[in-house]
Amino acid sequence: MPFDLRPGVRRLFRLPLSTPDATRQDVDDELGSLIASRVESLVAQGMSPADARTEALRHLGPSLDDARKQLHSSAHQRERRMRVRDFVDGVIQDIHYAARGLVRRPGFTVVAVLTLAIGVGATTAIFSAVNALLLRPLPYVRPGELMQVSLMLPAEGGQPSSALGWSYPMYAMFRDAQRMFADEAVYTGTEVTLTSGDVERVTGEYVGASYLQVLGLSPSRGRDFAPALDAQIGGPHEVIVSYALWQRRFNSDPSIVGRSIDIDRVPWTIVGVGPRAFRGLLGQADLLLPVSAEPPAQLAVQNYPFWLVARRAPGVTAAQAAGAAATLGTRVGDAFPNPMGGAKWQVAASPLNDARVDPTIERSLLVLSGAVVLVLLIACVNVANLLLGRASARGREIAVRVAIGASRARLARLLVTESLMLSLVGAVASVAVAWVCAHLLSTIDPTSILNGSRSRSYALGVVGFSSIALDWWALAFTFGVSLVVGVLFGLAPALAAARESLSGALKGDRVPGGARAGRRALVVAEVAVALVLLVSSGLMVRSLANLLATDSGVDATNVLTFRVTLPPGSLGLDSLPGFYQGILDRVRGVPGVADAALDACAPLSGTCFITPLGRDHAPTDYRMSSMTNLEWVTPSWFSVMRVPLKRGRMFTDADRSDAPRVVLLNESAAKKFFADEDPIGKHVTVGGLQDAEVIGVVAGVRQRPDSAPGATTYVAYAQSPQPRMMVFVRVSRDAPSIGTEVRRAIHEVAPQVPVYDMQTMAERTAAATAQARFRALLLTAFAIVALSLAAIGIYGVMSFAVTARMREMGIRIALGAGHARVQRLVIGEGLGLVGLGALIGLAGALAATRVLRTFLFDLTPSDPGTYAAIFAVLAAVAALASWIPARRASRVDPVVALRAE
Amino acid sequence: MAMLRGTLDPLVLKTLSWAPMHAFEISTWIADRSVGRVEVDDAALLQALHRLEERRLVTTEWGVSKNGRRAKYYKITPAGRDFLRVESKRLRDHFDALVSILWAKTAK
Repeated sequence: MPFDLRPGVRRLFRLPLSTPDATRQDVDDELGSLIASRVESLVAQGMSPADARTEALRHLGPSLDDARKQLHSSAHQRERRMRVRDFVDGVIQDIHYAARGLVRRPGFTVVAVLTLAIGVGATTAIFSAVNALLLRPLPYVRPGELMQVSLMLPAEGGQPSSALGWSYPMYAMFRDAQRMFADEAVYTGTEVTLTSGDVERVTGEYVGASYLQVLGLSPSRGRDFAPALDAQIGGPHEVIVSYALWQRRFNSDPSIVGRSIDIDRVPWTIVGVGPRAFRGLLGQADLLLPVSAEPPAQLAVQNYPFWLVARRAPGVTAAQAAGAAATLGTRVGDAFPNPMGGAKWQVAASPLNDARVDPTIERSLLVLSGAVVLVLLIACVNVANLLLGRASARGREIAVRVAIGASRARLARLLVTESLMLSLVGAVASVAVAWVCAHLLSTIDPTSILNGSRSRSYALGVVGFSSIALDWWALAFTFGVSLVVGVLFGLAPALAAARESLSGALKGDRVPGGARAGRRALVVAEVAVALVLLVSSGLMVRSLANLLATDSGVDATNVLTFRVTLPPGSLGLDSLPGFYQGILDRVRGVPGVADAALDACAPLSGTCFITPLGRDHAPTDYRMSSMTNLEWVTPSWFSVMRVPLKRGRMFTDADRSDAPRVVLLNESAAKKFFADEDPIGKHVTVGGLQDAEVIGVVAGVRQRPDSAPGATTYVAYAQSPQPRMMVFVRVSRDAPSIGTEVRRAIHEVAPQVPVYDMQTMAERTAAATAQARFRALLLTAFAIVALSLAAIGIYGVMSFAVTARMREMGIRIALGAGHARVQRLVIGEGLGLVGLGALIGLAGALAATRVLRTFLFDLTPSDPGTYAAIFAVLAAVAALASWIPARRASRVDPVVALRAE
Repeated sequence: MAMLRGTLDPLVLKTLSWAPMHAFEISTWIADRSVGRVEVDDAALLQALHRLEERRLVTTEWGVSKNGRRAKYYKITPAGRDFLRVESKRLRDHFDALVSILWAKTAK
């Protein structure tokens, strides 16, 4: 009788018949057997063999040939379908098995999934940022054709060549002579006040008439500027409002086109609404104003505010355009001599895409990408380590499976299914991590990051952090990386395990030597990579600490700052001091305000205004060596900001417009212009003040957190009034709550004047170091993750090694080794691995941290203090990670350990 | 007598529920049980067996019959028993319905 095998040992269903021939043979055999049985039975009933055969064939139904044909076809179909079902069943079975395995070891699963999620998630987030900020094409029509054409100040006297804005006549000459660009438009940022309705300070751009056209954009409502508009200097006051302003200020009013709006108290006609999501190339514009409507003085040859974007003519390559621009540039340089003397100006054209982000942001991103790839690497190593550990722990199980007939391929499929499942779960978790991280990155305010970086002109505002988001590419990236990691790092241990010797594994020789060495190598690699990250982050943190420890020169606590700007022409220059005096008086009356003062610029916000300073007579030298920062202040500014006087006297209220002209110098300026002489009582000519007397020297205030105070000359506001001033208010209580009251107080005296850009001085100080903090924060996060992963790796390997050597430990203890001695043995081994990794990592760190040099403030990339601290941290973590298994080893009961096997 | 559609599979399974058999035994068993009233063409029977195997309701193995002949044996699987139980009930309900309609009293 068949079917006598014990159930469950043989597979439940037979293996599929291997070939179509075998299938046909099987059918023919059965058919033959059936007919023969029937014939036999009929003969036994007394029929003649010939009749019996005829009867048997009749009983078949169709003719023998037809029956065979039908049966062959149904058998083929059966085999095909069964094979598919077998495969599907196998996969389902594998998935069941894998899921059960993962659930049964929650510790392993959670650690592996979290490791993958952090590694892959962080990588995806940084990849998204790189994609948005560096890679994604600019959102214009055929962005590859767009170029930025800059007027260049040539390199001179150690200063590198730098881009400069165009003056309008120079641009006009270039425009009329050039042939390589199909179209071009100038643009420059501006700030204006909307004076009809709610008074509001907004940002705009003065642009060439074909600005939108060059970019391939068109207004979402109304019309674009007429191309001929550029030719009509002093032309019509037409404005295109941004889509955002239209929604916000005009409630998406469909009848907006043709309406009038007062800008700086002059009526303008709204001719269109800008393209959705377009805020100008500088990224902040709420108004596009035709450059031809600018006051003619702005278009004069001595003003250089304009940037130039151009679209290449068909068939012109970027290199050809750059060459032609440079050639034409020499003609422009000849026609318009550099008023500062020195070398001639040049013209350079480069792809607009090159200017998409500030170079420091680009460098930061590349460093972060490098760092996050290292984190991913460690994560992969850790997962591999975990899987390897798991595979060797399961050596016996796998050997048993091989012994009872599981094929290697089937086994590999099973193990790969398991790691695939792990990586799929990891991928889903990664997407969650990536989403959170990308969201955090996207909320970084680019203006605060960019604040203090030298020039807005490098960066296109359109490429902002807010454009960072997970897209399909990022998701594909996440899943791709997870799967590759899962399969690669799952397959290797699977194969290794399948290769293990059967007998050894069955005997309980549980730790194959190869796997152990492999895991140790992985830990060494992990420690090395972690060290590189730790050193990088350590350097960043120390650099940041140095930066934060610098004395800006002012007391930034409890100071509220904001701008109050009068629309041009609303008051004569002579009336400005009175106007601002009124505002300061009102502000001083607000409860909680100790004092208030004016300055044109905020400390730590970059260079504000520079001008040449001449001793005694008017300056003729326009080189940097004779330049000074110029600041207009009211007398109380120094006491509000707590900037101490070093020599001489401060400004007083007596230094009015009818008094003799006086200036204060900071220490840098005193040193720069007077060297060892005593500047007090000397006379200078600076910023429109003829023959002003130097009355005192004050301490320096930094323009940038990472450089010493520049030479600065202070001018008494009353003697040189300006229309755009910043108010500094020293408060005795919480600054933000006072803000509203201050606003209200000013509104009462000057309802038509916008109060804007309100921030505490502490916020401005923080913004100045935002980039450095951002870098330090992210790198530190990466380093902590790397360190934790490395610690998990060390712990895993050491605890595995201890388990494997239980018997040895038992013998040692039985032979009289004390607990401390056994612990030392295990910890020593762990530290040995870490030491080797640290040595390799040291070499890597010394090489890798060179790229950080430009980010380091007052610190060398090989700062010994940082290295020492990092080694100490690493050693402590490694010792802790091996101490836990070591303690377990020292608690081994020799009797139990020796009897266990 | 011709077979009603869909009744062959349960009949074969019912037969196999007694013991594993080869095709000729199945055919004979059905014929004996119906006292010759139900006869199945051998080709149809073999196709039904292919179908049942494909659906995992039976398994097969070559063996040697009592007469010393090589024969392919069929054995009902647990899934086959489940199917048989469900299908028998469905068929009985079906026939009950047919009977109650066909033998209902009609107005003369």
